[in-house]
Amino acid sequence: MIDVVFHLIIFFVVTLKMTTDANPDIVLEDGKHGVTLTQDNMPPSTLEIELDRRGRISIHNATLSPDMLTMIIKQRIARHNSNEFPVHIKADRRSQHDQVKRVMDICTAAGIWKLSFVAVQEHKSQKSDSE
Amino acid sequence: MAYQRKQNKGESPKLDMTPMIDVVFQLLIFFVVTLKQEDILSKLSAARPAPSNDERIKENPPELINVLVAPQGFVFNGRLMRLPELDRCIERLSGYSTSAMVVIKCTADSPHSFLIQVLDVCNKYKMTNLSIFSI
Repeated sequence: MIDVVFHLIIFFVVTLKMTTDANPDIVLEDGKHGVTLTQDNMPPSTLEIELDRRGRISIHNATLSPDMLTMIIKQRIARHNSNEFPVHIKADRRSQHDQVKRVMDICTAAGIWKLSFVAVQEHKSQKSDSE
Repeated sequence: MAYQRKQNKGESPKLDMTPMIDVVFQLLIFFVVTLKQEDILSKLSAARPAPSNDERIKENPPELINVLVAPQGFVFNGRLMRLPELDRCIERLSGYSTSAMVVIKCTADSPHSFLIQVLDVCNKYKMTNLSIFSI
């Protein structure tokens, strides 16, 4: 029994991700028909820009000013020598389009035309009821 | 001395397992309680109007499907509609061609969730040529 219990504990320790670097306030809209995001189709070069309902722009929950975001995108284009890396916009479903437009405009001004919006394909955790 | 040696002979020292099992169960319960499954995410790709595309569009004008995203709902063919109606319209149009360009025009005060809903419907019917305009 102790063997089994230890196995279970090791399993949980390995699978548990204690801290998430995503912004916990962002509630995403449902998008059942999009392309599923997995580790395989999200290369390390993916840039994930978060936008909360108040219009705060962040990457990995670190707040950025529009100028800083422009700089980050330009540096990334210079590093990869192309603007083909995936850019994912994780915007809160309650945010207004003009806030999303600000992020899209920054990307477009830096030379990125192809954008993807992140949505929830399947809810696993408890759905937030804050509308 | 002689007495002690006689006592230990042939007996392995016993280890009391009870506290260890207690601790292990505590840990197990902690991990079960703190474990939170994450949502499965999807991505909906779209393009912003790029100036470099202009020449290609002039040479070979594609069919355009215009959808206006307003705070009250979606406007398609000059008619205000809800999502199920738009779903039916896009389904019908996708029957003719899935390569037609869908131009999604968003007003500044429309909620972002509406844009995601349009993108999701387009992805549902395999319309992949999507372009987002902000007005």
